[in-house]
Amino acid sequence: MASEALLEVTGLAYAYLGRFPALDDVTLAVDRGERVALLGANGCGKSTLLKILDGLLFPDKGSYRAFAADVTEDSLEDEQFNRGFRSRIGFVFQNSDAQVFSPTVREEIAFGPLTQGMEQTAVAARVADTLGMLDIAELADRAPYQLSGGEKKRVAIASVLVMNPEVLLFDEPTAALDPRTQQWLIELIIELNGAGKTIVLATHDLDSLELLADRCAVFSEGHTIVASGSPREVLADRDLLLAVNLIHDHSHHHGGTIHVHPHTADHHATD
Amino acid sequence: MTATSSATPGWLLDAEVGLCPCGCIGRRRKGSYVTKTLNRAANVMHQAIFAEDTAAQPGLLQRLDPRVKVVTLFGLLVAVSLVRNVSMLLVAYFATLLLARASRLSVVFFVKRVWLFVPIFTGIVVLPATLNLITNGDIVVPLGTWFGHEVGLTSQGLTSAALIVTRVATSISLVVLLTLTTSWTRLLAALRSLFVPRMFILVLGMAYRYLFHLLSSVVDMYTARRARTVSDEGSVGSGRRFVAASAGALFGRTHALAEEVHMAMVSRGYTGDARALSAFRVQLLDIAWVIGVAAAAVLLIGIDRGF
Repeated sequence: MASEALLEVTGLAYAYLGRFPALDDVTLAVDRGERVALLGANGCGKSTLLKILDGLLFPDKGSYRAFAADVTEDSLEDEQFNRGFRSRIGFVFQNSDAQVFSPTVREEIAFGPLTQGMEQTAVAARVADTLGMLDIAELADRAPYQLSGGEKKRVAIASVLVMNPEVLLFDEPTAALDPRTQQWLIELIIELNGAGKTIVLATHDLDSLELLADRCAVFSEGHTIVASGSPREVLADRDLLLAVNLIHDHSHHHGGTIHVHPHTADHHATD
Repeated sequence: MTATSSATPGWLLDAEVGLCPCGCIGRRRKGSYVTKTLNRAANVMHQAIFAEDTAAQPGLLQRLDPRVKVVTLFGLLVAVSLVRNVSMLLVAYFATLLLARASRLSVVFFVKRVWLFVPIFTGIVVLPATLNLITNGDIVVPLGTWFGHEVGLTSQGLTSAALIVTRVATSISLVVLLTLTTSWTRLLAALRSLFVPRMFILVLGMAYRYLFHLLSSVVDMYTARRARTVSDEGSVGSGRRFVAASAGALFGRTHALAEEVHMAMVSRGYTGDARALSAFRVQLLDIAWVIGVAAAAVLLIGIDRGF
């Protein structure tokens, strides 16, 4: 018998306020150690799926299994299951401001392990290690509102990594970061994956896709997954990317990357 | 064919002169009340961040354990409220100035911060009490007659006014010393480890944190509006409409943010019980400080009562 996927959603449907559909009949399985990118245009349901995978939203229809157990609102009320599930999945939100809510960076990073019931001295040691690893030790006693966007992102990632989760969910990890921080984050994701972490990320960053993922699930604007494959296969399928509104009619594919040339009169004269 | 010609209206492709075509210079206007309010909001942020700077100085009070500081300064507040002698209160007030100096605060800034607002308002409140119409006593400064009665400031009235003003000034100085030498986060942590319920502290901490977030949102929204306001700032009515609209928009944003924050907490295992790192250690300096403050308080009250 084939081993069960680490995370598995089947026939998911979810609508905000019961009226605004976000997911429609979504089925996806993520194996241990995989790097999966959820690819799609804005508003196609990627973030909603991540929230369901993190047990923050619950589907209207369909099922979600993680670590060979059903994840439902009811099952997460079980204290032991909740603790196990929360410590095994970490979620880095797109909006770091939402994720960084404690008075200081140190307390922010300590929040997760402390709520998990870890002992104070062990937490302090872990926090110090994480601060060192992400090179933010000098920010430890600063307040989150004094940080820049990139620093906040590092703190948000530290606050998740400190819990040493098996699965890391990233919502638009490279969005609104400067190129240097983007590169740092891509390298971190590769390193974490190399250490055995399973990564699921939502993105529409086509430039970094091949670095970020082994496999892509492409969402259409109809809130469902319409294709799946390696980044190279997906990026080569211009018709698919056009159909899901990820690229503009004027973009071109050269050697694995997508370029957009503005179609001005000058450009077309030489085209 | 160009990419823009099909969808972009022609007027967008033409350059337009933003100024009045005749080139005349317009009237200057003072900022509206909206501008002033928002500048104040930005100032609040600035002041809070400045307080963090002073709290990070290597001064005397900054080196104390915040729990010790909260308890001893509270004790001093009680002692000051028990003193009934203006000269003793003045001694206590000058002691706060010395403490400010020892804590590397600018004394001028410290004095301004204390005397600029509250004692002035206290002064206005106690001013009538100095008149013989309110407080009977010996008139030392005659002000004239009113319906045949002599009106003036009485020595008893002046003494009680001075007593209240110095007491308020000393008390505020103590509180300002505490807030300027302790970062907000350490203050909250100190309150938490003393007697204030944990949930209360958590809510207070998050409220403070999101106050900044909302203030910067308000400033952003207003700046965006100003950037698009080409002509006259408009009437008070339009300002009022803008405030109402942005209050509504902010409410929506706050709600969405609160929901996200809650999700981020739940995601990391929050089920209603918050725990925090406690990193305070009472040191020799703290013990010396407690003894010193206790002795000062006893001495102050002792001399005041003539023991």
